[in-house]
Amino acid sequence: MAIAATAGRPETPRSPQHLPMQLVGGWEAGLLAFMALLYLVGVLLNPTFFGSTDAISAVLRDTARYGVMAVGMTFVIVNRDLDLSVGSTLGLTAVAFSIFFSPTHYGLDAVPAALLCLGLGLAIGLVNGVLVAILRVPPFIATLTMLFIGRGLVLGLTGGKTIGFDLKAQGYWLFAMGETNALGFNNQILIFLVFAVVGALVLAKTRVGYETYAVGGNEQAAQYAGIATKAVRIRGFMISSFCAAVAGLMNVTQDKGVTSQYGQGAELIVIAAVIVGGAAIAGGRGRVIGACLGAALVVLIDKVLREGIPVTRTITVGGVEMEVQALAQLPPGAVPAFLGLILLAAVLIEPWVVRGNVFGRLKAWLTGSEPPPSLDPGGAAIVGVKTFGTASDARSVGARGLRAFLHRRDAAAIVLVIALWLVGMWLRPDFWGSLNNSFNLLLAFSEVALLSLGLTYVIANGDIDLSVGSVLALSGAVAAYVMKEMGGDPLLAISLALAAGALCGAVNGWLTTRFNLPSFVATLGMFYIARGLAAWIVSGRQLSGFPERFNLIGRNLYEVLSYFGMPPQTGLWLEVTRAVSVQTLFLLLVAIVAGIVLGATPFGQKVYATGGNERAASYAGIDTKRVRFLSLVFSGLCAAAAGVIYVAFYRSFNPSAGQLRELDAIASVIIGGGSIFGGYGTIIGSLAGAAVITLIRSLLSLQVILANGASFVLPQHWMNVFIGLILLIAVIGDIWFRQNNVFGEWRRRRQLAAAEKLRLHQGSKGA
Amino acid sequence: MTTPIIEMRGIMKRFGAVQALNNVNFRLMPGEILGLVGDNSAGKSTLMKVMTGAYQRDAGEVLVNGEETHFRSPHESRDRGIEMIYQDFALCGNMDVGQNIFLGRWPKRFGLFVDRPKMYEEARQVLGRLKVDVNSVFQKVESLSGGRQQSVAIARAISFEPKVIIFDEPTANLSVMATERLLETMAELKRQGVAQVIISHRLTDIFEVGDRIMVLKRGENVGDRYIAHTSEKEVLELIVSGTPDTALTADEALRQAA
Repeated sequence: MAIAATAGRPETPRSPQHLPMQLVGGWEAGLLAFMALLYLVGVLLNPTFFGSTDAISAVLRDTARYGVMAVGMTFVIVNRDLDLSVGSTLGLTAVAFSIFFSPTHYGLDAVPAALLCLGLGLAIGLVNGVLVAILRVPPFIATLTMLFIGRGLVLGLTGGKTIGFDLKAQGYWLFAMGETNALGFNNQILIFLVFAVVGALVLAKTRVGYETYAVGGNEQAAQYAGIATKAVRIRGFMISSFCAAVAGLMNVTQDKGVTSQYGQGAELIVIAAVIVGGAAIAGGRGRVIGACLGAALVVLIDKVLREGIPVTRTITVGGVEMEVQALAQLPPGAVPAFLGLILLAAVLIEPWVVRGNVFGRLKAWLTGSEPPPSLDPGGAAIVGVKTFGTASDARSVGARGLRAFLHRRDAAAIVLVIALWLVGMWLRPDFWGSLNNSFNLLLAFSEVALLSLGLTYVIANGDIDLSVGSVLALSGAVAAYVMKEMGGDPLLAISLALAAGALCGAVNGWLTTRFNLPSFVATLGMFYIARGLAAWIVSGRQLSGFPERFNLIGRNLYEVLSYFGMPPQTGLWLEVTRAVSVQTLFLLLVAIVAGIVLGATPFGQKVYATGGNERAASYAGIDTKRVRFLSLVFSGLCAAAAGVIYVAFYRSFNPSAGQLRELDAIASVIIGGGSIFGGYGTIIGSLAGAAVITLIRSLLSLQVILANGASFVLPQHWMNVFIGLILLIAVIGDIWFRQNNVFGEWRRRRQLAAAEKLRLHQGSKGA
Repeated sequence: MTTPIIEMRGIMKRFGAVQALNNVNFRLMPGEILGLVGDNSAGKSTLMKVMTGAYQRDAGEVLVNGEETHFRSPHESRDRGIEMIYQDFALCGNMDVGQNIFLGRWPKRFGLFVDRPKMYEEARQVLGRLKVDVNSVFQKVESLSGGRQQSVAIARAISFEPKVIIFDEPTANLSVMATERLLETMAELKRQGVAQVIISHRLTDIFEVGDRIMVLKRGENVGDRYIAHTSEKEVLELIVSGTPDTALTADEALRQAA
């Protein structure tokens, strides 16, 4: 078709624009203008804070930290990866520095401690990079897990307490890093400038940068061109973690102490900053200057949202009306809701506004001229090829009995459940088999299992839902709010809570299917939005005191029957009613229906077909978008049901409900035979996976009585580290053992080698 | 003279500034195997996508059995008996052979559940009709070799009882053995009266099973010859240096040669 292309008017190559021109003409100018506008809004809303010069320097100081991280993140995102772990890397390096430096711990000098921290940052980046580039774990799973592992380590190392070293810090020059200098601005801003300039030059002008763009644009092409793409991706992660470590040092030198909250949610601000700055989540596009301006903008938005508006409120105390000065503020935890929205909006900008050429179209429409050619929409037959490697489970064809069972993808999970239960029995024979423990196990199991049911559909579709834990919190908040603050009856509360969950699922589905966002981005946005909304609804407080009729949902059968005045008296029935609770029965019901639909109906087949090869499925006449949409809605509903049960069980609602649950649920599905790349997963497998997670959690919190009579309990703080590790092991195991069958391959090669040896041996004998 | 099963006249298709197809004519007789050849970007795939409705033509007409049609998607042309087998086969690797043959239209039992026994039984029958060696209908497609995956794709196509099958680069990913088997399968399909179009770069394959060969160049017809009365050399010349002047119909070329 080259001949026809030349028929058009010849295109003169435009001379490369100079940097200031690019700044004025491009995306970045818009950002600057928007920022000025936003600052004015801040001044109008809260003149006492934003009117002062302190405010500018405070905004700049905070921007400096996030900006440094954004510089590193730009490399990762341009590489077509994602680093969700920067926030916890910041926290972890800050804590590590404090532990090394603090006189109450190791008491090292400042410089060695700082160097150790930077080394730690690089090491975290290396782990991320190896997981993603070499072990082929999807970046969002690898780094999300690192996020939780890092948070777990921070909690475990600090024990949730603050470490301070105000006095010792006075004697070290390093702490000038976080101070205001003689020129009247904070030194962190200087550091930020250095990172921005170096980062911009490296990405735009050096081979390192060019390699990054090539890998992000088309990894295969880059590889064929001789670029060590794996090394490039690992390098990206290391740059990002190194920047996060520097930001951690900046933070700790400013505060001269550390809390376990350091860097929480920072990944959201940083990723939003890079995307707002014009980078594409699909890789290959993005500039450091944009990311830095994006960081300033997002930090400013964050500040405006957090500072609040001074208002005068009238309150009545003991019949006397009083006027009080107050700040109308967002409740703690609500800000991420807005940042999540910004992230989603920013992600949509690149594919829909920039590539869709909305402005050009608008201009053409206004001037009445011919609109620019539209992109080919891409129907069923045009989308690119998607192929898989050979899997191991074809060996199961023809196998019978135990062999056939062992070749099932969910066999490992089922065997593991039995093994883990036996381990518990062995560790604490007096306690493990007891009714009490079984009851607790079933309870903990139902929450994880319920979430994993919805996720089984989503993951089998080749999507992911990172928002289940947050949706659980949101629906719990809705139920609690309706009953507590609006005086609604339980039925209304449950309906609204489920509706909230379904709505979240629908938004996820809408963003992924209608706007073609990768599901991990859409649900990552929802991850923050739903949790922020939950905190907002309950104003960050704990709500309790609901009608007992509602709380029955979270009770066992014995209590329910007693409530209706017919408690069971004796025998097995009593035992059973004490061990089985309403939620367990509910879970069973949902699981049976979901299992039958997935396993035996055309809809279930459509789910597998969509996950296996969406193009083929779509060509075969399956409405794959509808299938994916419905699965995400189902996942939202399951999470909402879990939220309602949570509130009923605890008889109260806490905004931190369901935190980390997404990890448990994803791990359950993967352990139970699901594939993170889609196409696999069964309900029975996911239930077994959820049982594995539950058993591991309760084994880890088991009080083990040692031979000498002493007892030992693993501190709760370390739990997240283990769960994160388990998820990683499950994903890596699935990719390498189930899908690529490295064992089988190894065995085959050995057999081949043995045969070859035998042949040679015989050959030499024959001669 | 019998009506062509498919006839296209004066097809035009533009992509932005690129004229992909310029006044292209195309004819396929019942039970005929037609090779469609040409350089890269000659418009072979585009022409076939216009035929199946994956692309919408700008001008021209498509006649199936002499009737004017306007397919809006490949699903509509499938209803009229036109099947396309894609280069990557468009199969779901995570599902087994039977499930793939009935992808998207799995037989139902009680109006709700998938009727597995019926599905596998019919899958076996279809495979039997094709005389290919796929060991088991329970085998996952991603564990099959490329040639067998293609057999599944063909089985899937003929389970629709098509009158026309379009093969897009069928031998591109196949070993020599698998190519031999594929050509046998094509001959078998021809015996069953299925007309076939092969889009391919490999002239040898087309000369082995084809009846007629049609050459496109830069979106225009440049030649149409009966296999029996042409040579690979002549076809190659047409591909490289053909012009619209050489674009005689096969019958005209035959008469001229005589």
